[in-house]
Amino acid sequence: MQPEDLLLFAADAARLMLESGGETYRAEDTAMDIIASQGGAEAECFATSTGLMLSYTGEDGKVRSVVRRVKRRGMNLEKASRIHAMVNDLRGDRIGIMEAASELDAIERLRERPAAVRMGASALGAGLFTLLFGGGAAEAAAAAVIGALLSLLILGFQRLKLPEFLTSLAGGALTALASLSLQSLGITASPDAIIIGVIMLLVPGVAITNAIRDIIAGDLVAGIARGVDAFITAAAISAGAGGAFAMWKLFELGGMG
Amino acid sequence: MNIDLSTLLEWLKNPALAAMATSAFSLLFGLHSIDIILASVGAFIGWGVFQSLPQMGSPVFAAFLAALAAGFYSEIVGWIRSRPATVYIIASIIPLVPGGGMYYTMLSTLEGDSMKTVELFMTTLMSAFALAAGLAISNAFGRMVFMAYSHITSRRKAKP
Repeated sequence: MQPEDLLLFAADAARLMLESGGETYRAEDTAMDIIASQGGAEAECFATSTGLMLSYTGEDGKVRSVVRRVKRRGMNLEKASRIHAMVNDLRGDRIGIMEAASELDAIERLRERPAAVRMGASALGAGLFTLLFGGGAAEAAAAAVIGALLSLLILGFQRLKLPEFLTSLAGGALTALASLSLQSLGITASPDAIIIGVIMLLVPGVAITNAIRDIIAGDLVAGIARGVDAFITAAAISAGAGGAFAMWKLFELGGMG
Repeated sequence: MNIDLSTLLEWLKNPALAAMATSAFSLLFGLHSIDIILASVGAFIGWGVFQSLPQMGSPVFAAFLAALAAGFYSEIVGWIRSRPATVYIIASIIPLVPGGGMYYTMLSTLEGDSMKTVELFMTTLMSAFALAAGLAISNAFGRMVFMAYSHITSRRKAKP
């Protein structure tokens, strides 16, 4: 493999690690371990949740570097753990660099679960969290239905390539409106447990915890970037839900609700 | 020991709910077969610790110990399955993360209640910090045990 190809391969592996929800330091280690396993010297990688820079000195003494932007920030732990396994195999000389490259291709092409499975899982998760946070059986059933609708909305917005901010805004509004309607129809008692249960599908609780994990690990810039991402998402969800609440009150006072 | 069956079932109810909810979220996070079950067990342990502790007016300390327990569990399972512990950590802390806290903080900001906002914000941030600290400590211990283990095994191999 040419030194340039090795550099691009290592950068792509690190980028995929970040896109799949791997920790920042793990993405940096991925790139540096790949290069070190092929005899590259002085590999340095600087990653944040929005991009990474990687450089190393080849056997010919030339310094090469590349920048990769990270646009999608998802969570696919299967991809993260397969990249980890691939790097380990490469370091242990159990696979060659060409096999590693085709394995990375295969990992990149791994598909998300089908929409029906995602809807079912969202419904189940939302319903069970509503039960856990103090809802009754009727609330849990309502949360399951709203959770399924919400996952449809998320999928639709992803397909239209709309920004995550809009997804969170619309998701918050949908959840609040649906649970307020169910309450006024007399099906459920209180919207609180439903909203909190359903909103677990959207809230960046894991992101804020990961942000602090990054900061503790010494990746200060990456941690702050992740933290800001989490707060913007939380703000969007509550702006959506808060807007829906306000509109609902307006209609009720006007005698239309 | 005289533990009544109904109190036991009552105690098991919430950790079991947390575990099942986690298994649903693990599907969304792309986990497969046995990893889903292993992650759910982590959530069961985390929530079990969380609810067993006297809350002392704030859930922050309970969250810290819960993350410590779930983190240790994830390190061990990750080592056995030779996968990054984070795969199990992310899934098993889902019920513990302060998502609700973030949502309520922002909602009270929009309502213009600044006292409540500050209070909720601090609790949310402290919970997230407690979780992260618990995970960092369990990770450090995991590394120490792993290094000690590989040190011992490599010495044994070198002898003959």
